[in-house]
Amino acid sequence: MDERDTGKLPFGRRRRTAASALIAIVVALVLGAFFNAPAMKKTAEGMPFGGVRSFKLALVGPLATVSHWLLLDRPARVTAEALGKPAPGPSAAQVVVVTPTAHPSGKPGKIDLDKPLARPYPGHPLHLYIAGDSMAGVPGMALVNLSNRTHLIKPLLDYHISSGLARPDFFNWPAQLLAQTEAFRPGAAVVMFGANDRQGLQTSSGKVYWFGQPGWTAEYRRRVREAIAILEDGGTRRTYWVGQPVMPDPKFNRQIQVINAIFRSEAARHPGVEYVDAWSLFTNASGGYAQYLPDASGQMQQVREQDGEHFTYAGGMRLATAVMALIKKDWLSKKGGAPPKASGKSSPKATPKP
Amino acid sequence: MLFPTFTFAIFFLIVFVGSWLLMPRQGLWKPFMLIASVVFYGWWDWRFVFLLAFSAVANQLFAKAIERAATVAARKWLLAATVAVNLGVLGWFKYYGFFVTSVANALQASHLNADLPLLRIVLPIGISFLTFRVLTYGIDVYRGRLRTSSMMDFAVYVAFFPYTLAGPIARAGEFLPQLSAPRDPRTIDTSRAFFLIFGGLVKKMLFADYLATHIVNGVFTTPGSYTSLETLIGIIAYSVEIYCDFSAYSDIAIGVSLLLGFELPDNFDAPYTAISVQDFWRRWHMTLSRWLRDYLYIPLGGNRKGQRRTYVNLFITMVLGGLWHGAGWTFVFWGALYGGALVVEHRRIGVRKARFKARQRTLPAAEADTGDLGLAANDTADFGYAAPAPTVATVDGAPMPTAAAGGAAARSAAARAPSARSAAPLELDLRPWGGGVWPRVGTFAFVTFAWVFFRAASFGAALSVFGQLFRHWGSIGAAVTPGVLLVIVLGIGIQYVPRSFTERAEAGFSVFNPLLQGLVLAVGFMLLDVLGPAGPASFLYFKF
Repeated sequence: MDERDTGKLPFGRRRRTAASALIAIVVALVLGAFFNAPAMKKTAEGMPFGGVRSFKLALVGPLATVSHWLLLDRPARVTAEALGKPAPGPSAAQVVVVTPTAHPSGKPGKIDLDKPLARPYPGHPLHLYIAGDSMAGVPGMALVNLSNRTHLIKPLLDYHISSGLARPDFFNWPAQLLAQTEAFRPGAAVVMFGANDRQGLQTSSGKVYWFGQPGWTAEYRRRVREAIAILEDGGTRRTYWVGQPVMPDPKFNRQIQVINAIFRSEAARHPGVEYVDAWSLFTNASGGYAQYLPDASGQMQQVREQDGEHFTYAGGMRLATAVMALIKKDWLSKKGGAPPKASGKSSPKATPKP
Repeated sequence: MLFPTFTFAIFFLIVFVGSWLLMPRQGLWKPFMLIASVVFYGWWDWRFVFLLAFSAVANQLFAKAIERAATVAARKWLLAATVAVNLGVLGWFKYYGFFVTSVANALQASHLNADLPLLRIVLPIGISFLTFRVLTYGIDVYRGRLRTSSMMDFAVYVAFFPYTLAGPIARAGEFLPQLSAPRDPRTIDTSRAFFLIFGGLVKKMLFADYLATHIVNGVFTTPGSYTSLETLIGIIAYSVEIYCDFSAYSDIAIGVSLLLGFELPDNFDAPYTAISVQDFWRRWHMTLSRWLRDYLYIPLGGNRKGQRRTYVNLFITMVLGGLWHGAGWTFVFWGALYGGALVVEHRRIGVRKARFKARQRTLPAAEADTGDLGLAANDTADFGYAAPAPTVATVDGAPMPTAAAGGAAARSAAARAPSARSAAPLELDLRPWGGGVWPRVGTFAFVTFAWVFFRAASFGAALSVFGQLFRHWGSIGAAVTPGVLLVIVLGIGIQYVPRSFTERAEAGFSVFNPLLQGLVLAVGFMLLDVLGPAGPASFLYFKF
């Protein structure tokens, strides 16, 4: 290999040829790919069902197999185990069995929804569990701040980017909800899903329903019911199910309206669930998408991030304020605490029908 | 396309091979690199490619016109048009919303209602870097420091993918000459390139992202949930996070460019070892501070129009520098804090200079002959950037090391300085706060305090964070973990590692067989994957 030094580098550092660099880069990438093949396979498996996912799996699947045969996946596995981290690679799908009589809530016995809500007081705060995808992140932070100001609400924010109810193999929300209700024992929950769920759903039988198919709606509805059941069985007296806001992209909007309609109808079926209509909170005067909206004092604020979808902190606070008003009405006001009425309720305004 | 992804690794491998194969044929290499860069930039949003194209064509036309203009007046008008067009584009994309909401809110406060058009404008990634980069071309052509290049060369300069998204702000005069001849494939500084790339990945994935998710994001978004100690550690952690995040991008960009045969200017030099705010800006985002000095501070008049005007120029420069970072009043305030700090430091040095001169006048003429002390007014020193100007001068004319060399070095050099007199020489220390530990601690404390306004979403949010420092000192808090403390110590500690240590390691690595180099890198990537976060997070400076 032709290597020579031209120009002095510190401590005799040698310049190398492009060919030498190429060898090092190729070795690093190929070996690195074998070392990390299980993690790459896991990433590919987490992609939405479709051609791109199949293509990537076709590439990394054999890579992971060869890596396993050659024991090249062992260093990463051993290192992870030594550090107490989860082993890289796909994990066996966790199955959550929801049994209506199981009560991890700390208050054994079936929850009586007709019983008035217990008002929190100093020393006995309301446990508020806030869960969802990245859309729930900023409103969740604002809700935590509003909760802290009351000194009567103890919030727990639990949001996971790119997650949703569509892909438990990517992030298993039913398992997470079950674990959190056992550990935190929330009296109330605020959940916000859906933005990442416009993709194929795989049923327990292995069949994949694509978004828009009747089977998709039925399966997604089942998952929403499952989430509600886990929360209620965990002792959650009120669930505030936040719908998705208006989006800048018309196609995205139509899809979101389908998902919001499922949330709304399931909330109407469950007396302890209230649907929070985020859509109408973020529309302009003509009912369209708004990037800027006035706050409570009339000051114009940017409410959506540059991507047009996620909330700025001002936007998150707008949504959190609406949710907190419902929580205060139910839990902190003198008039609150009444048993919920089973009706097609939603707050604050009705979502336009798709 | 994010650097720490397999997608980028494949992209770079293709570009690397294609680039060196085509390098001897510049007529093919330049279109190839342009297309590769456009693919990289368009990966985010293909619409942004039109911005690159517009910027390249418009600035080339203006530069050519400036070069050909017959009169000084015409050249000035053309330069003004160049600046106006570039800042106009930046203003439209980045500051439109900020401007309109500020006006609307001011009118509302005055009980005047105006229905201002509030449009949704997608901010092209890295537009602030692009604007400052291309402005150097027209301005340097106007100043006669640079000749215009071909359209293809300039397009490659505008779009060159390593620095497109978040710098360094390589000037046209630094990059275009490297396009004049094919790069030599036999003299690549691969070892330094690999160290920069891998070190950048470590800083980003293991330090910055870890601190962001484990303490910083929580402390800054839900401060009421944290104890005072957690808040304090969280604030310090943000200082480490932003350094590790931003310098990581710069390091990777410089390393990637080196592998392609191009040298980009350094952007960071251990900023948290600074002994003053001036010194900090010599070490933090160096290409930006040099840009602000040469293309804003000096054109404003620098220090050539009296002391008061110097202070005003410093303040304006830093305020605009703050606004460059983000469209918000917190960024303006952040810049104003630095402007104020620089004014205080310059005032302090000014007083010391006056006293020094007064003392000189009381000495016998022979002793008072200072020779060339580097005290002549120069904009470079006043802005606080980098000049090889001495920071300590003696009456016997022996210049002292720069502030970057540190107080101890300065003192030892003073002791070694040749002197014809047995008595201690009359010294002028041009370091605002001297050297040693406390100026470093004080500078770091000031910088960390200022970062709160940079990070917080609003003044209210910043004040909430500060307020939390005084509320709950009773307990430590769950967010203060050994991992967080270790990463903070490492993030600051690496800046105190002597450069020679890294250079020795690079030299040792450079003699390895490339197969062994590849094996070491592969193990490093494996460890990053195991230790790092599940998915790559975007770099903080992308939004600027």
